[in-house]
Amino acid sequence: MGGVVLLLLLMLVACAGPGASRPAASPAASPATSPATPVVTGSPAESPAESPAESPPSPAESPAESPAESPAESPAESPGASASPSPPPAGVEGTLTIWVDELRAQYMTQVGQDFQTATGVPVAVHQLGFGDIRDQLQLRGPAGEGPDVIIGAHDWLGQLVENGLVEPLDLGTKTESFDPVALQAFTYDGQLYGVPYASEAIALYHNTDLVPEPPATWDELKQIAQQLQDDGTVEQGYILQTGPADPYHSYPFLTGHGGYIFARDEAGNYDPSDVGLDSEGGLAYARELDQMIKDGILRQDVSYDTMISLFTGGSSAMFMTGPWALAPIRESGVPFDVAPIPAMEEGARPFVGVQAFMVSAFAPNKTLAETFLTEYIATDETMAALFEVDPRPPTWLAQVEQVDDEQVLAFVESASTGDPMPAIPEMSAVWTDWTDALNLIFTQAQDPEQAMRDAAEGIRTTIGGSASPSP
Amino acid sequence: MTRTTKGAPRAGAPLSVWGLIGRLAALAVIDAVALAFAYGLVAGGLLVGAVVLLVITVVINLAFLVDRLYPLRWISPGLLLTVLMVVYPLLYTAYIAFTNYGQGHILSKQQVIDRLEGQTYSEAAALTWRAYRSPAGAFLLWLTDEAGNELLGDARTGQLQPIDRGDPQLGPIDPADGLPRRIGDHAKLARLEVIRYLTILEDVRLRTEFAGEPAEIRIESLDRADVGRQRYSYDAARDVLVDDRDDIEYQSREGFFVAPDGTRLTPGFADFIGPANFLRVATDPNIRGPFLGVFIWTFAFAALTVVLAFAVGLGLALLLNDRQLPAKGLFRTLSIIPYTIPGFISALVWVGLLNPLHGPINVMLADVIGFSPRWFSDGTLAKVALLMVNTWLGYPYMLLVSLGALQSIPSEVYEAAQIDGASPFQRFRSITFPLLLVALAPLLIGAFAFNFNNFTLIELVTEGGPPTPGAQTPAGQTDILISYSFRLAFASGRGQDYAFAAAISLFIFVIVAAITLFNFRLSRRVEELV
Repeated sequence: MGGVVLLLLLMLVACAGPGASRPAASPAASPATSPATPVVTGSPAESPAESPAESPPSPAESPAESPAESPAESPAESPGASASPSPPPAGVEGTLTIWVDELRAQYMTQVGQDFQTATGVPVAVHQLGFGDIRDQLQLRGPAGEGPDVIIGAHDWLGQLVENGLVEPLDLGTKTESFDPVALQAFTYDGQLYGVPYASEAIALYHNTDLVPEPPATWDELKQIAQQLQDDGTVEQGYILQTGPADPYHSYPFLTGHGGYIFARDEAGNYDPSDVGLDSEGGLAYARELDQMIKDGILRQDVSYDTMISLFTGGSSAMFMTGPWALAPIRESGVPFDVAPIPAMEEGARPFVGVQAFMVSAFAPNKTLAETFLTEYIATDETMAALFEVDPRPPTWLAQVEQVDDEQVLAFVESASTGDPMPAIPEMSAVWTDWTDALNLIFTQAQDPEQAMRDAAEGIRTTIGGSASPSP
Repeated sequence: MTRTTKGAPRAGAPLSVWGLIGRLAALAVIDAVALAFAYGLVAGGLLVGAVVLLVITVVINLAFLVDRLYPLRWISPGLLLTVLMVVYPLLYTAYIAFTNYGQGHILSKQQVIDRLEGQTYSEAAALTWRAYRSPAGAFLLWLTDEAGNELLGDARTGQLQPIDRGDPQLGPIDPADGLPRRIGDHAKLARLEVIRYLTILEDVRLRTEFAGEPAEIRIESLDRADVGRQRYSYDAARDVLVDDRDDIEYQSREGFFVAPDGTRLTPGFADFIGPANFLRVATDPNIRGPFLGVFIWTFAFAALTVVLAFAVGLGLALLLNDRQLPAKGLFRTLSIIPYTIPGFISALVWVGLLNPLHGPINVMLADVIGFSPRWFSDGTLAKVALLMVNTWLGYPYMLLVSLGALQSIPSEVYEAAQIDGASPFQRFRSITFPLLLVALAPLLIGAFAFNFNNFTLIELVTEGGPPTPGAQTPAGQTDILISYSFRLAFASGRGQDYAFAAAISLFIFVIVAAITLFNFRLSRRVEELV
């Protein structure tokens, strides 16, 4: 009889997480202690280090949009790998294992089937949250349980390369078929690590009923916004995410006033020892944001969702964000168009993000994976289909020519003028302090110049004081 | 369950043959399951896990077969759980704290050596290749260099030989690429056909020579093969990595292979670095600086949460316990409802409710008193908001336990007090509250210790914000110790720093352990007093 009790206890051990033994004082925490998946993702909530980076609802994770009704598990799973929902299955020698996000899962399954039919190599496509791919690769790759191929954003690259998780690639003759800016973004220490399929940058969305002609300069935009507000046509002429502040969307203001984050050398590499948030331009940027709050051009406490809903509800006439918002805004039916970012003193360049396929350093089938990418992904057909499921500025030059959607073309244009988001690991120090400075400015809690100086100083200390200075 | 007299048969002793058989059968099942798992663990390369599992299984068997170990039978599951869920993570955290595991130091040293030893360097021009496969599954590689020299490699033996175009073994020439369709019984594979065999072919190494030294030819991509030499080799005896191309010796130091001139090879590896992380917590002014403020707020947050939640919960419990209250069941159900909604959802709903622009609470406040508090922008308001949300989340639990405890207070005591002419307040103060406290003190301590580390709530509601003006570290005004250490560890200069986070969490562990110990003492004294 005791054995039965013990068996029950053992079963309890097996299925109950640590949550079972909690004092459970406040139910607020109980979900945290019993995560749904047995996989430890490294951080309970989205870690703050990455959240700013992804908070421009990191493209792929962006809220609504799912044109592809992506079935979680691909219908035609390969015979080699079993389909289990939570822990992404490991790569097996002889089977090509691919981790993709929700948007691309369905199409990639199809490509995998074609590949399997043509070559006899079984392909297993598994769907993960876009942001989870990086965490899971870091966790499972070294344990020998990782995939062969992943998709990812270029700003992960520094972390992935320095942790030894991705493999350099050689595109051979196909190199010329890609946008060089995109390839540059996926180059780290002189080596290419990705087959880019999409890029993104923010541009100006404007309500065509309220603002038929997009303003060409920032001063013009402010005038229009002021006018609309004075007339009582809209609540807010122009709207920017201010609470919590989001550095990503404010970057054009920084570059527009001549500021920078890290100085770049001739080759375009970022130098973490030269932080430019408190340069002359950086301070001017801080003053400008402060002034816009004071003038009522910017409104406090606007979250990303508020920003979108004010625009789709017609309460705001203009705002800037990336192509990931096209789908939800089109759905809302509000008449709008997309234009390049209005010029400021120094031009106003947005951040450019690039997404690509990468090969895991722990892939059981590296050459096969690389071949799959060069032969089956870097093709007109695949690139066209990838654009179809998620219309963002393509990086495949032949596909760029195919785009006839004026709004997407506006993003293409915007991306072509932007700066690739720094991929060096030091960037994680920047997001935190920069966000804090913006919050202090937007809430009018501190003198703008002082806030920006503090941020720059904080970044320098964290970079300098971290255990491993850059090699 | 009678173990009173020594002469009586032990309760654990077999009472019947069937009982014994049942017990043995249950043990057999447990053993079988454990063995199956252990086998899986060994197959997966987790030898330590298998050993631990087997030891545990042996202990279970002993506990149930040896009568002398009878008490262990009932304690052992709890002990095992403690070891698995508490002791093991604790020891592992302590171990991590002495390493540099984090950004740039994720891989083990052996993994890094394997990666570096896998790198080749090549001074020769690349080759193009085509594969031939025999029906038996043997492969030949036809290699062509830039000068047009042709070589044939045997995948199995690694032998390489020049090709004689006049060899009768060669089949008819394929006009598409100028190569023979067959070599003996080996048929040429078309470009796409090769893909199927790439996994095998990428492991093929063909021995050759380049510039008078031995080299290897290996397949790099579908079309290209490289003549390369292994670039790095690890000398385990001296713990150095030798770069054979440039003749540099890299010393293993602090998780990197470092050249004499200071150049480091990436990736780094996780390495033992001694007490450096602890020293950093203690000496780095940027980390020490905000520590006190965060510490005080942590304490205040945990204590106030418990006090407020307990006050609300107890108050409601007293109300619900009143005999004159109508529709008691309904009220009781309603007040328990917050408990049934997942805390994650409640916390996020509260964030929405308190939204300064559109939150219903703020809209209402603005309408009624003309003031819309900016909950998340002002330090004090953010703290108030946090306490409000946490009280909401915590009170139903307090209500539940208070209700239960109230039932257990005998009514005669109240009758006696009533006869003595005690006022309701006196009755509460002198009877209800002390008696309740005896029963609930351990729960309150538990709640305090829990909220001391209530990372989830902070992260969901304020994310530690608003930021502190002029702070050099990412310490927000509502950060508690655990969220502060999380921010330090994951928003440090170069991404995650797990080892540093482990060191800080050990500090927190010591603090919480001390508080708990103190609380236990205190509560024991309370119990003695009553």
